[in-house]
Amino acid sequence: MTSGTTLSDLIGIEHSKLGFFQELQQTINELQESNHELEDQRREIAAIIDGITDVMMVLSEDLQILSVNNEFHKLFPEGNPIGRHCYELFRHSGGACPECPAFRSLSTNTVCKETAIFKIDGCNRQFEMLASPLKSPTGAGNRVLIFKRDVTTEKEFQAKYYQAEKMVTVGTLATGVAHEVNNPLMAISGYAEGIQRRLKKHGDSMSEDVLREFEDYTKTILQECSRCQNIVSSLLNFGHPETSVFGFVNLNGIIEETLNILGFHLKKSQKLTLDKALCDDLPLIYADEPRLKQVILNLLTNAMDALEELEGTIMVRTMKEGGDSVALEVEDTGTGIPQDIKDRLFDPFFTTKSMGKGIGIGLSTCYGIVKDHNGEITVHSVEGEGSCFRVVLPVQLDK
Amino acid sequence: MLSTKFAIPDVIFGRGAITHLAQCAKRVGAKRVFFVSDQGVEDAGWVGLVKGILRANGLGCVYFNEVNSNPRDKQVQKGVEIYREERCDVVVAIGGGSPMDAAKGIATIVGNGGEIRDYEGANRIMHPLPPMIFIPSTAGSSSDISQFCIITDMERKVKMSIISRSLVPNISIIDPQLLVTQDRSLILASGIDAMAHAIESYVSKLASPFTELHALNALKLIIANLRPAAEEKDIEALEQLSIASTSAGMSFSNAGLGDLHALAHALGGQCDVLHGWVHPTLLTSVMRYNLPSRMAKMGEIGRLISGSDIRSDQDAALLGIDTLEKLFAELDLNTSLRELVPDKSDLKHICTTATFDACHLTNPRPASPEDLMSICEEAW
Repeated sequence: MTSGTTLSDLIGIEHSKLGFFQELQQTINELQESNHELEDQRREIAAIIDGITDVMMVLSEDLQILSVNNEFHKLFPEGNPIGRHCYELFRHSGGACPECPAFRSLSTNTVCKETAIFKIDGCNRQFEMLASPLKSPTGAGNRVLIFKRDVTTEKEFQAKYYQAEKMVTVGTLATGVAHEVNNPLMAISGYAEGIQRRLKKHGDSMSEDVLREFEDYTKTILQECSRCQNIVSSLLNFGHPETSVFGFVNLNGIIEETLNILGFHLKKSQKLTLDKALCDDLPLIYADEPRLKQVILNLLTNAMDALEELEGTIMVRTMKEGGDSVALEVEDTGTGIPQDIKDRLFDPFFTTKSMGKGIGIGLSTCYGIVKDHNGEITVHSVEGEGSCFRVVLPVQLDK
Repeated sequence: MLSTKFAIPDVIFGRGAITHLAQCAKRVGAKRVFFVSDQGVEDAGWVGLVKGILRANGLGCVYFNEVNSNPRDKQVQKGVEIYREERCDVVVAIGGGSPMDAAKGIATIVGNGGEIRDYEGANRIMHPLPPMIFIPSTAGSSSDISQFCIITDMERKVKMSIISRSLVPNISIIDPQLLVTQDRSLILASGIDAMAHAIESYVSKLASPFTELHALNALKLIIANLRPAAEEKDIEALEQLSIASTSAGMSFSNAGLGDLHALAHALGGQCDVLHGWVHPTLLTSVMRYNLPSRMAKMGEIGRLISGSDIRSDQDAALLGIDTLEKLFAELDLNTSLRELVPDKSDLKHICTTATFDACHLTNPRPASPEDLMSICEEAW
């Protein structure tokens, strides 16, 4: 009802057709303000993202790269990665990696972790990957956020730590063994020398044949004792890496010494043939001898394990590699390495050996030692045919 | 002295003016037009024409035709739902008062929310409305010019008058050619509605020199052209009627109406009769009642209607009223209220309701429900 309406209401001097002007202006002001705020937020977020030192990617469900941060461009400075697939860049392959955490993350809607080694610019780099699902509310066009952190150095430190720990144990063992073995050796060589002295004194009373035999036997006993003492001494050297320092060493010599340590095991196997092809005029290298010995020891042990129960050959080669490097190859005709685990060979604690045979730090230790020498360790393997581990070491280092 | 005000929309007038619709709609920002009309206009082919014009100019169009001859609150609400669902931006209406008033009601709620009854009375609309472009298909209601919107509240059986400057459409496109498809009775009903607008606004309490000029112009044109327009559908006469209706609209939109419209609204709410048919029954009675308060003006009207130059205002006025009654009789129009309100006992309620109508305020002579009752008795 309009009982409250008056004539002046009908004239409505102060009323006019309402326009949108003020409302529009207000809305424009509000939008401008919110635009400023959003722009500030965007800049802040961009600064945060670019400040992240991990490689960051947003991937589509089929692993197509949708966006990346600055760190990514540092890793792959060439070309625009947008629209390419993650596995193309990291694995140079045409399909997704079986261990890819992105799929797991999307299917379980949880954050998933994985570690992998990628070959980038010809170097193996170890990455820790973290995949977080970015599910769209409609279910269509899900995305996944991937962080990749280069943990190569961390892993090297870790490997060094294991190495140091192992060295302490081996050192303790070696010291004990040295004491235990040295004493009987001293006794054996002492008695053998005693026998020699007696022979000199009472040789006349013996028949010439018996005297020569005794002289030969005691000489052999003393020679073998001396060899044993050398082996014990090698063990002692090996067990005390903290006492070792970088120096000019002959790679061939180190190989020979290591083969001496392993001599018994190598000879024990009837089916195993050891071939050597050592380069005669190999230049000296600047290296830490005991640690290099450990690399060779590990590679040889692995080769022997690969040939376990099989008839086959282990080939140890050295060669000059260009003018400034030498190379060492340990090749076996064993079982070879399956393609899918090739990238994880150098991972700490990765092992294919049965329980009690190894804990999987051999190759990772080798990797660490070779890296310390500014060298490179690579593997070429064909499943069922055998493997060849190749260590390239520089001749001169500015140390 | 009381200040007055004169507000009208942009008026685009002329035969074929409808072709400017799309251009106008784009000018006020249309992308998706909410288009209101009714079955009658649809049957005459004008709805198809408008749709075609909009389509040809790349404008979306959502058509709404659930409109009665007296548009209802529920229909307005329905239109609002569709407008919002379809995300329209501009309201276009073609037709008589009903589609245009329905369109105004829809635009009011789209811009302000709530229900249409919240805006009954004057100046209750506080927020802008979407742009409105109206094309009248009758020469009478002038909803395309006015700040009035009449919607029926079905619950209370009341025709609500909603008055606001915001209800003046942005653009009125008046194309006299549209009138040729009307039948005789519709031409007469709307023509007499326009005549009532002119007479009531001329004597209204808020009449000003600006409105008086238009009121007299309208009345003169209607008297001269109503008969040839209705009987012969003479396009010249229809065009003059169109101008008259627009003039009457400019006048009543700014000066207000009187008790004839107050009663017509109350009666329409109660009995759902065509608005135009109420005027021949009550107009002369209301004029007689108002005569003492506006003797000079009524005399002027009388001279205009009768074409005589009698000196005495009273005589001239009475002659004018007689002439009108004769004209209604000659045109074979119903002049008996009894035909519209069969039950006389309804009149009391109608008269009371009429005193609450906004048009009652501007009636030149104060009237109680009893006074209105006496008018109705006379018209019975």
